Amino acid sequence: MTAAQVQPTSIYLPSLAEIVRMEQLTKMEKLFEIKFKDGQELGHQPGQFVEVSLFGIGEAPISVSSSPTRKGSFDLAVRAVGNVTKAMHALDRGATLGIRGPFGKGFPIEELKGKDLLFVAGGIGLVPLRSLINYVLDKRQDFGRVLVLFGAKTPAEQLFLDELSMWRQSKNMEYLETVDRSDGQWKGNVGVITTLFPKITIDPKKTVAVIVGPPVMYRFAILEAQVKGIPDDQIIVSLERRMKCGVGKCGHCQINHLYVCQEGPVFSYAKIKDLKEAI
Amino acid sequence: MYRKITREKLRKWLIGLSARAEILVPAKMNGLWTFRLFHNQELPQNFLNSRIPPKNLFFEPLKGLLGWKAADGSFQVNSCPAPEAARVIFGLKPCDARALRLLQPVFTGDYPDVFYAGNLSRTLLLGQACRVQCQGSFCSEVGIDRQDSVDFDVFFREIAGGYIVRVITEKGNTLTGEKEFFEESSAGEWNSAKEEIRGKNEIPLFNLEKVKAGARERFPDEDFWMRVSAKCINCGICTYLCPTCHCFDLCDLQRPGQGVRFRCFDSCAFPDFTKMAVHNPREEKWRRYRQRVSHKFNFFYENFQTVACVGCGRCVAHCPVNLDLREVLLEMAR
Repeated sequence: MTAAQVQPTSIYLPSLAEIVRMEQLTKMEKLFEIKFKDGQELGHQPGQFVEVSLFGIGEAPISVSSSPTRKGSFDLAVRAVGNVTKAMHALDRGATLGIRGPFGKGFPIEELKGKDLLFVAGGIGLVPLRSLINYVLDKRQDFGRVLVLFGAKTPAEQLFLDELSMWRQSKNMEYLETVDRSDGQWKGNVGVITTLFPKITIDPKKTVAVIVGPPVMYRFAILEAQVKGIPDDQIIVSLERRMKCGVGKCGHCQINHLYVCQEGPVFSYAKIKDLKEAI
Repeated sequence: MYRKITREKLRKWLIGLSARAEILVPAKMNGLWTFRLFHNQELPQNFLNSRIPPKNLFFEPLKGLLGWKAADGSFQVNSCPAPEAARVIFGLKPCDARALRLLQPVFTGDYPDVFYAGNLSRTLLLGQACRVQCQGSFCSEVGIDRQDSVDFDVFFREIAGGYIVRVITEKGNTLTGEKEFFEESSAGEWNSAKEEIRGKNEIPLFNLEKVKAGARERFPDEDFWMRVSAKCINCGICTYLCPTCHCFDLCDLQRPGQGVRFRCFDSCAFPDFTKMAVHNPREEKWRRYRQRVSHKFNFFYENFQTVACVGCGRCVAHCPVNLDLREVLLEMAR
């Protein structure tokens, strides 16, 4: 029955932000470049996510797609599938939205330093990985070999085309890509992402595989990484869950005793391989 | 420290407090016990427990969190104020008070929820010892003492014509220190106010340690979970009546030019609780039932070193298909 001291800020209160640039990536995905109205930095780690608020519609957890080495703004790449993401696609440049976060644990950058990195991205799994790949390319001397395997359903579903064409020509990295189905014009590999694994040679002792994609991809891509001899604690995944509150309370993202929004979304495969319902 | 008070003086004490705080006491509403605003009435003597747990007074079924306004081209968003007004709740039972304490680390911790924390700090908890075992309850099996508790500010044991009270917190000490109402009492009087629980389970239904071990061992046993959850109809009543369930959803209400975001109860029993764009990790009913039981007896214990069940029995007494959690726990303990 004492008067409350200084009120701490509510964990549910978003900061106001503005869409400064939009780009249609594919038929289903749009890129949004976002700036906070008060000029603050997001201060995220690659692999973390934010809760995006569209006032009157709701919130959705969205991975940050830009590297923290880029200051002043950040990118969200969003597929229009639910209420919030569909409404987000209908916004115009200059529109106001709310941002909470960043939340969760990102990719373990310190552990990746000095290692060879094998990035495996399936579809929009490239969205969170792009944050890490661009971070690694900006700090290239801190890491060993950089291999990127990217699989999309069709050529029309490839994201970040400008960056993909840079990666194809880059001498800083090795980039392999495939599509599940060709469109007739496609000259590259055709087949699911696991068909790229026989084309690469790695040193499993010094390689960390970072795999992000749809649930069905994990089982097979992880198996391929294991076949290459990469130990489970050097396989990193990022899990998608319905992270409503982002702060480990609402229960939606729970896998056993873990709250994905707090302990994850990035996990080492060794940590979650025995957890039922994780993968 | 022990004090005592007559029934009539207790009523007068609460009337006095109502000038400084909102007072809630057990009252019947449409035939059901609940906690209602005190109107200076006689306090009930035959109160077992409320149908809806007093958790709802701390973690509300529907709570406005923030609001926004778009006026004259400017857009503003503001948090709803955290609750501050002083409040006293009389007649809470040991099970429900334990539940409020269990939820404390969930809603405080790294990201404190100012609404739950505010509700706890603004409320004086006055507990009352049980005399009768509630229908479906198994409180003593999960470690609740029905006649003693330190989860309150002050705990009352009823005697003929009044109460012997145990003062637990400094806040409780200050408020019961008013000589006009309370007299000093002793451990002897406190002990002699202890009574047999009518209708109690003579033999404990199960051993909690065995339940906890069983919860871990049974987790991968899909046949077990399919069998025990077979009659569940996903209605969610167990979660809505549970004093420790705390899953919630966030939802928006938009009106012309303004809107509100709410926190509202949700249930892991509902099929779309974990549904995402292309994937639902708990699409099957048995997985959701397993989640609910395992969260209480396995995961919550792993995270907070205590089970998230206080044995109040509401889920047992009010399940529309008689899915009896006690039977499931008993089988897990075998």
